[in-house]
Amino acid sequence: MILIGENIHIISKDVSVAIRERNARFLQDLAVKQTEAGVHYLDLNIGPARKNPEEMVPWLVKAIEEVTDLPLSIDTLNPVAMEAGLAAITKSRALINSASGRTDSKQEMMPLAVKYNAELVLSVFTDKGCPPDADSRIESIMETAAYANELGIPNEDLWIDPVLLPISADQAQVGFDLEFMKMLEDAVPGAKSTIGLSNVSNGTPDHLRGILNRTMMVMLGRYNMYSVIADAFDKELIAINNGERPDIIDIVYKVMDEEEIDLSSLSQEMVHYVKTAEVLLDRMLYSDGWLDH
Amino acid sequence: MDFKAPVESYAASVREVTLGAGDKAVKIGGETKLAYGFFDEGDIPNPPKLALEVMDTAPEGWAEHFLEPYRDVLSDPVAWARKALDYGADLICLRLISTDPAGKNASAESAAETVKKVADAIPVPLIVYGVGDETKDAEVLPKVAAVCSGMNLLIGPVIKEDYEPIAAAALEHGHCLVAQSPLDINIMKELNIKLSKTFPLERIVIDPLSAALGYGMEYSFTLMERTKLTGVAFKDTMTQMPLIGDLGSECAKTKEAKTNREQGILWEGMTAISLLLAGANIVILRHPDSVKNVREILG
Repeated sequence: MILIGENIHIISKDVSVAIRERNARFLQDLAVKQTEAGVHYLDLNIGPARKNPEEMVPWLVKAIEEVTDLPLSIDTLNPVAMEAGLAAITKSRALINSASGRTDSKQEMMPLAVKYNAELVLSVFTDKGCPPDADSRIESIMETAAYANELGIPNEDLWIDPVLLPISADQAQVGFDLEFMKMLEDAVPGAKSTIGLSNVSNGTPDHLRGILNRTMMVMLGRYNMYSVIADAFDKELIAINNGERPDIIDIVYKVMDEEEIDLSSLSQEMVHYVKTAEVLLDRMLYSDGWLDH
Repeated sequence: MDFKAPVESYAASVREVTLGAGDKAVKIGGETKLAYGFFDEGDIPNPPKLALEVMDTAPEGWAEHFLEPYRDVLSDPVAWARKALDYGADLICLRLISTDPAGKNASAESAAETVKKVADAIPVPLIVYGVGDETKDAEVLPKVAAVCSGMNLLIGPVIKEDYEPIAAAALEHGHCLVAQSPLDINIMKELNIKLSKTFPLERIVIDPLSAALGYGMEYSFTLMERTKLTGVAFKDTMTQMPLIGDLGSECAKTKEAKTNREQGILWEGMTAISLLLAGANIVILRHPDSVKNVREILG
């Protein structure tokens, strides 16, 4: 799976301060560390970037391109900031993160993919918000992708995002994304896919976030998820993605297939993956103590 | 063609919890299907219980129509409790409002003494609710547990901030606990998991918080229903405890209940019936007429 490193993210206080103070060194350091960790893209999440985006975003892109050859995804809903970033990227084909089926996004964000020959993350959001289940998300994305096609963006340049919500907010939602992935190839043939993986563990205690993210990645991978936006510094996640942990993939698939599993024969690590998969599949009620029960 | 109604059967049951000791003992929970699912397979061995509130000191700020039934016993919790039983309550819920740090701030010792007197005087199990202050409850409730050792009271609420000392005392002295969470099933489960490390699951009753009609009751309804479903249909051992609906005081706070006697009593009755349908095993009521009204509807 293609990993998009998420660690340059405006929600991080350190990142936010570094951008405000134009501290290139700090951000370059984060870019180098993510590159060394083995991710394939770097996401530059700059938030709404209301203040002076025409100066700030090119500054950031230039600073990052000085230290890494990885392709960049510009992560903002502000089309002015997006365009400033796309115009500044020199090293590789850019990824727009993201557009959606919202009217303003169709009008202001999508045309930038054509103008700058960029690839495009397309989420299932519409003017009505996030569609409530797998079927309605597929319906929404078919419409939105068709609109992108009319603008001249082929399916192959679309990275479809079914939108992942925190498990602590709505446990059943997680399963909708798996259902969505089963249907995606028929709905938008040839399209790529991506998802904000860490969102699933938002609100969960920090030391428990990794196993939720990793288990979710394995489950999505089974349904041909093309990429995830993920924590580059989760070494185990990288190892799983590099094929170094077939045992984890195997046990998660067994849970998905509802195979009989004898927990007493498993290591504690594997038991934790079983329980986490059960929780993500909404077969066991989530609580912050799900691994202890 | 004959219509054949579908009949559900469930994989698990609600845990049966015994409150009170000796011949005062009363069982709650134990059902193997959802509340009032008379059309499904399974049993409801212990019908829900109606508790009336008793204050450990004369309350302030109550509307006249809530004071009126107890006018002559407001400063005497033992007499108040007896009167509440005369009005038909199955159980008594004694609230230790005297211990409120923002009010009288009575000592743990004096509160525990009152609890003992009331518990001794009545022929039914006693529910004891602290004032809801995590620091004060952690002092008062362990003292209550110790002074009433062996009486198997239902003591609460314990929350994630104060459960440890209270659970330790309840375990040592043989009581049951009310585990309270802020209208959130995930946090409810987490608290039960934490309690289960040291405290027996068959002595826990869940208080998910009960909002009054018009003030979020539907949240409490959904939560109670989901708790029971998760426990009984999906076999989650951490949500199989009986539920207590602490709704009387919530209803009495509403302007609808304060300003009009008849409306207030109906408000409480409607909230109680709704939460009983959702699966409450005990409801705590304030007005004696609600006991009569709810019983009449339950049949």
